[in-house]
Amino acid sequence: MTALEAGVSTLTPVRSGMGHWLQSYAMMTRWEIGNLRLLLPLIVALQIVIGGGFALGIGLFFDTIPMRNALFLSTGVAVVTLITVGLVLGPQLVGNQKVAGTYDFMWSLPVPRTTQAAAWLTVNTIIALPGMVAALVIANWRYDLPLVVSWSIFPAVLLTIVTATMVGYAFAHAIPKPMVTQMITQLLIFTILGFSPINFPPENLPEWLASLNLWLPFHHMANVMRAGLTEGLVTSVGTSYLVLTAYTIASVVLATWVVGRRD
Amino acid sequence: MTDSTAADWTFRAANVTKTFGDLRANDAVTLEIRPGEVYGLLGPNGAGKTTLVKQVIGLLKPTSGSLTLGPYDLVDDPDAARQLCSYLPQAQMPIDSFKARQVIVLTGMIRGGDAAAVRKRADELIEELDIGEWSETLGTRLSGGVKRLVGFAMVTAWPGRVVILDEPTNDVDPRRRRLLWQQIRRLGDQGSSVLLVTHNVLEAEKSVDRLAIINDGRLIAEGTPSSLKSEDRGRMRLQLMVVPGRPTPEMPVFVENHTRVGNNVMTVIAETDSAHGIGWAQELVGLGVIEEYALAATTLEDVYIRLTGHTSEDPTAEALA
Repeated sequence: MTALEAGVSTLTPVRSGMGHWLQSYAMMTRWEIGNLRLLLPLIVALQIVIGGGFALGIGLFFDTIPMRNALFLSTGVAVVTLITVGLVLGPQLVGNQKVAGTYDFMWSLPVPRTTQAAAWLTVNTIIALPGMVAALVIANWRYDLPLVVSWSIFPAVLLTIVTATMVGYAFAHAIPKPMVTQMITQLLIFTILGFSPINFPPENLPEWLASLNLWLPFHHMANVMRAGLTEGLVTSVGTSYLVLTAYTIASVVLATWVVGRRD
Repeated sequence: MTDSTAADWTFRAANVTKTFGDLRANDAVTLEIRPGEVYGLLGPNGAGKTTLVKQVIGLLKPTSGSLTLGPYDLVDDPDAARQLCSYLPQAQMPIDSFKARQVIVLTGMIRGGDAAAVRKRADELIEELDIGEWSETLGTRLSGGVKRLVGFAMVTAWPGRVVILDEPTNDVDPRRRRLLWQQIRRLGDQGSSVLLVTHNVLEAEKSVDRLAIINDGRLIAEGTPSSLKSEDRGRMRLQLMVVPGRPTPEMPVFVENHTRVGNNVMTVIAETDSAHGIGWAQELVGLGVIEEYALAATTLEDVYIRLTGHTSEDPTAEALA
C-alpha cells in the first residue's frame, strides 16, 4: 500500500477541539518561523539596534538628563518597541502576502484561523522582546537608572504586545489594500509617539489630551510597564491594568472576528 | 455530523450565485462531483472559475445557493471546508524560505497527516514528479515550473476529499506535465474528487472524466468530453495560418463559424464540405493570403470556442478581478 492509499483510506476526518487547536498552533508557529527564517536574525538585530539606538538618542535632547526624564524615556522606549513591532511588522508581512499572491493559500490551510493569529503573536513576541531588553539594558548602562524589575513586568509585556499585535493583525486582514493599512498604522505610530504619555509623564500634555489618553490604551501600557520596571514612579496602576485588559480582550475579539469574516 | 465511510461523499454545488455589486461572478451554478472523479472546470479568464472555488474552500461566501460535501455544509462550516478540501491556488505558493521537501512535509502535517506517513508520501511524490534533484533546494532558487510541482505535492501529500487544482500545469515542462497528470489521475483513483480549473482545453480533454464550461459566471455546458463533442460530430476543423499582416479572408457560405487568434484562423465546416474547404484553402495559399492550412477532426476546443467565443489561449479574453 502506498502512502497515498493509506492517506486517502483514512480520508481526513474533520478535527476539532482543544487538541486540534494546540496542534494547529504548533504547526503554524513552525510555519511562521520557517517562513521568516532567512529574515528573522536580521529583523531581531534591527529591533535591537532600533531599541538601543533610541535609548541612546533620546539623551541627546538634554545637556544633562534629569533622572525622572531618563526613567520615563527609557521605559517609554521599551513600550514603543513592543507597540511598533505589533502595529508595523504584522501589517507589513500580511501586505507582502497579499502582494505576492500567497494570501489565499495561507488562508485556505485547514487550521482554526485563530491559530494563525496566535502563531503570529508568538513570532512577534520573539522579534520584539530582544529590542525591548536591549533598549532597557543600554539605557540602564548609559543613564545609570534605578530600575527595579518585578514579576509584574510579565503581564505588562504580555498585555501590551497582545493588544498591539492583534490591532495590527486585524487592520492588515480587514483592509484590502496593504498600502492603506501601512498608512494607517504609520499615522497611529506617529500619533502615539507624539501625543500619548509614553515617553513623558501625562502632566506634560494639555489637560484635555491627558484626559483623552485615560480612555486610550497607550498611557496604560506605559503605566503598567513602568510599574514593572521601577518603584514609586507611577500611580493608578490598578486602573491601568483594568483598562488595558479591556483593550486586550477587545483587540483579541476584533482580530478573531476579522479572521473569521468572509466576503 | 459523522465521518462514516458509508456516507455519500459527493460534492454538490446547487444554484451558487456570487455577486460583487452589480457583477454576477457566479450565476446559479449547479454541479456534482462524485468521489474518484476528475472534473474539469473550463472557461476563459474572468468567467468565474476562481470565484467558485474560493467559495468551496471558504475564502468567499456565496450570495445564495449551497455547497455541500457528504454530510457537511461547506458554507456554514468553513473550518470543515478547509479540512475537507485541499486547494492549490493559481497564484504563487509561499515557499521561498523553505526547502522543497521540508515544505511538502510541513504542509502535509498541517493538513492533518502524521509525520512518518507524510514523509513517506512526500518522498513518493518527489520521485514520481521527478523533482528529486531539488528536494533540498530553497524555494527562492526554484524555477516556476518546479515551484508549481512542489505546490502540487504540498496540497496532495495529505489530500482532502476534494482536491481543487487551479491551473496546476502552468509553467511545468511537457515531460513533467505528463507525470503531473498521472498523479492527478491517481488522486481520483484513490477516492478524492478532483476539481480541476483550467483554460487549457486540450490538456483537460485527455485527463478529465467530466467537465463543465463556464462563461460569464454561468455553466453553459456539462458532460463527458465525448458527449460535449457529440454535437460537433460530422464537423471538421479547417485551420488557416494567415500571412502575418494580412486581414482575415472573407468566409465562404459553407464555413459555419470562425475565430482568429493572432494569425491563426480556426473555421468549422461540415465533414461533407471537406473537399470545398481544401479547394478554398489551396486557393488562398495560391493568392498568398495564407501560408498553410490543416484539416482535422473537431476537438473539445472547437466546442469550447463555439460556446464561449474564446480560444483556450486567447490573450484578448477579458480579465476579471
